[in-house]
Amino acid sequence: MGNTPTKLYPEGPTYNDTEFVNDADILNHKNYKNRSKNVSLANTLLNPNSNSMVGENYTNNTRQKQYSIFNKIDRDKDRKKYVKDREKLKEIHARGLVVKYDECCDGGFLAPFGCYNFDKLDYNIDIVRSLIIERKLAPFYTPLQDFDETWSREEIIKIVDGLPLHATFEENLEEFEDVPIGDLKKPNFDYLVDRSLSKREQRRQHAMIFKARLYRKRLIWQETANESFLEDKVDAKKNKIKNRYLPSDDLKYSLYKNGMECPICFLHIPGPLNYSKCCQQPICTECFVQIKRSEPHFPHEEVDPTKPITDDNSKDPNLLISEPSNCPYCATPNFSITYTPPTNRRTGIGGIPPSDYCEVAQNEIQKQEISGQEKENKETLGSPTSISASASPLSSSSSSSSGNKHKDIIISNIITSDDIRPDWEAKLKKERSRLAKRAANATAIHVSNQLVDPEYSLRQNSNTSSPAKYSVRGTNSKTKRKQLSLEELEEQMIKQAIQLSLEDQEKSKKK
Amino acid sequence: MASLPKRIIKETERLVSDPVPGITATPHEDNLRYFQVTIEGPAGSPYENGIFDLELYLPDEYPMEAPKVRFLTKIYHPNIDRLGRICLDILKTNWSPALQIRTVLLSIQALLASPNPNDPLANDVAEDWIKNEQGAKNKAREWTELYAHKKN
Ligand SMILES: [Zn+2]
Ligand SMILES: [Zn+2]
Repeated sequence: MGNTPTKLYPEGPTYNDTEFVNDADILNHKNYKNRSKNVSLANTLLNPNSNSMVGENYTNNTRQKQYSIFNKIDRDKDRKKYVKDREKLKEIHARGLVVKYDECCDGGFLAPFGCYNFDKLDYNIDIVRSLIIERKLAPFYTPLQDFDETWSREEIIKIVDGLPLHATFEENLEEFEDVPIGDLKKPNFDYLVDRSLSKREQRRQHAMIFKARLYRKRLIWQETANESFLEDKVDAKKNKIKNRYLPSDDLKYSLYKNGMECPICFLHIPGPLNYSKCCQQPICTECFVQIKRSEPHFPHEEVDPTKPITDDNSKDPNLLISEPSNCPYCATPNFSITYTPPTNRRTGIGGIPPSDYCEVAQNEIQKQEISGQEKENKETLGSPTSISASASPLSSSSSSSSGNKHKDIIISNIITSDDIRPDWEAKLKKERSRLAKRAANATAIHVSNQLVDPEYSLRQNSNTSSPAKYSVRGTNSKTKRKQLSLEELEEQMIKQAIQLSLEDQEKSKKK
Repeated sequence: MASLPKRIIKETERLVSDPVPGITATPHEDNLRYFQVTIEGPAGSPYENGIFDLELYLPDEYPMEAPKVRFLTKIYHPNIDRLGRICLDILKTNWSPALQIRTVLLSIQALLASPNPNDPLANDVAEDWIKNEQGAKNKAREWTELYAHKKN
C-alpha cells in the first residue's frame, strides 16, 4: 500500500482518514485495500510535511513566476534533512522494539512479542521500557496460545522451552512485493529511486523503499536476537554452564502456572497483569500499549434529520478534539492502570539473575521480608485482591526492609494511556493548524483559480449546490474524502502546491 | 495474509459452543475473518418473525478496530441505510476492544428493538419515523414481510 511511514510519528492526517464508517463495499477485501491506497495517496498529498511540488504540475499559475529558484534549492535541502532525521528516529524506534532475552524483568521483556502490527506500536519506547524496569508496568511476556490447568510441571517447562522470543515475521509482505531494498549495509539508498519520475513520485518511492528496508532490518535484528537466544540455550544445556540470563526451570514453571487469559487478546499471560484503575479488570501490557486517544476529529453531534448537514470543512479548526481513551471494560474516561509487581519473583534488570530463581529460596527471602499480614499476598498473586491488600498503608509497619520501601513507591503509581504517548497534544495542535491553513488557503485558491480559469467558479457552484448527494452517505467529511475522484485529488494537489508557494513567499518576505 | 490471531479463533469456537439465541455467525471457508450472520427480528418490534442476513468482516486491526457489519436483507430502519450500513455507536467512536462479535450482534439486535431516529443514517426513514411513527412502523413491518426470511 502507498502509506508513507508518517504513521509512526503521525503529524498530518493519519489513519483516521482510512478508517471506514461501515461502508458497503469494505466487506470486499480487495476494494478495501484499493480504497485505502487512494486515501493514503490523498494523505500524502494533503500532508503539509510532504512539502513542495511547486513548479511541476501547474505551469498555468501566474504566482509561480514569482517563485525563486534559490528558494527551492534551500527548501529541498531542508526537506532532505528533515526526512533523514525522521528516518533516523524511526530506526531508533524500531530497534527499541526488538525482543532480547537478556533484557528481561521478572520473566518478561522490554519489547512486545508481536501480537499487533508494527505500525501500531507507536508508543514511546523509552517511557515504556523504563516503566517496566521500575516495575510500574508489567513486562511484555511471551504469551501461550492455550493453557491447560491439568498440565504437569514437566509439561509446562517443556512448552516454555520451545517458546520463541518474538512472533514469526512474514518473510514477504504483499505491501513490499516490488519494492527494491538494495544493500542494507549502505545507509544511502537514493540510487534506488527512479529519477525519471516526478519529484513527488520520487519522494513517495523513497518513503516506500525506506519502509521496506526498515521492515527487512527489523526482521534481521530480531532474527539475530533469536539466534543468540537459541545458541546460548543450546550452549548452556550442552556444557552444563549456567547462563545468568536464561530462566531457571522454577521460573518457567512459576511464570506460566500463575498466568491468566488476557480479556483483550485471549492469550495466556504470566501474572500478575496490569489492572484497570476504575474497574479492576486485567490487561496485558501488549494490549495496554495499543489503547490510545482518538485521532483529532470534530465532535459527533446528534443531528436533526430535517435540517441540512454542516460540512466539516466549514467548522472552526479549534473545535477539533481528541478525547482521552476510555477504559475498554467500563468506558470510564482517561484509561489508567495500576500494577503490583510480583513479590517473589524479582529477576533480571534490577533483580537476581533469572537463572538463580528458585521457588523455595525466593519464598524464604520473602517470609523474612514481609509482615504477617502481607503473606497472604503471594497466595492471591494476580487477582484483584492483591492490589487492595498491598494498598493498605504500610507506614504502620516498622520494618525497614527494602521490600517495603519498594512497595511504597509502587502504590502511588497509576499509568494512563497518555503517559506512554505524551505527544498527543502536539499532534492535536498540529492538526488544528493544518486545518486552519487549509481553510485560509481555500479562499485564496478560489480567487486565484477564478483568475486562471473563468469556468472554475461555475464548476464549483454546481458542486456545492447538491449537498443531498452526501447526506445519505454519512455525516462527516471522512466519508466524503474517501470519495475523492482522481480529478479532485489533482485539485487538492494543486491547492497544496499553491499553499506551499504562498508560504514560501511569506517566508522570503520576512527575511 | 498473516496467521489468524488466537482471539479470532477462540471467539469463533465460543460462538459455536455457546451460541446466542436468535443469532448465527458462520465464518467463510476461504476467509475466516468473514462471517455470514443471521439475526432474528426481536419480538414486539416491526421486525418480528423476520430473519435478516448480514455480513461481518474483522479488519486486520481487530480487536483494536470495530468489525465491519452490514445488512444484506433490505430493511426499513432509521439507523440502517439502503446499502445496509448500520449507524451504531459501538461500531464507530464507542468501539472497545473488550467488545466481541457476540456483543456487537446483540447490540444490532437491540437496535432493531429500539430505533434511534435522532442519530440517523437513513435520513428519509428517520424523518418518516419522527413525523409519523405508526406509519413508519407499518412500513417496516411490510418490508420485513417482503424481504426477510420467514421464521420457521
Ligand atoms: Zn492482552
Ligand atoms: Zn474500567
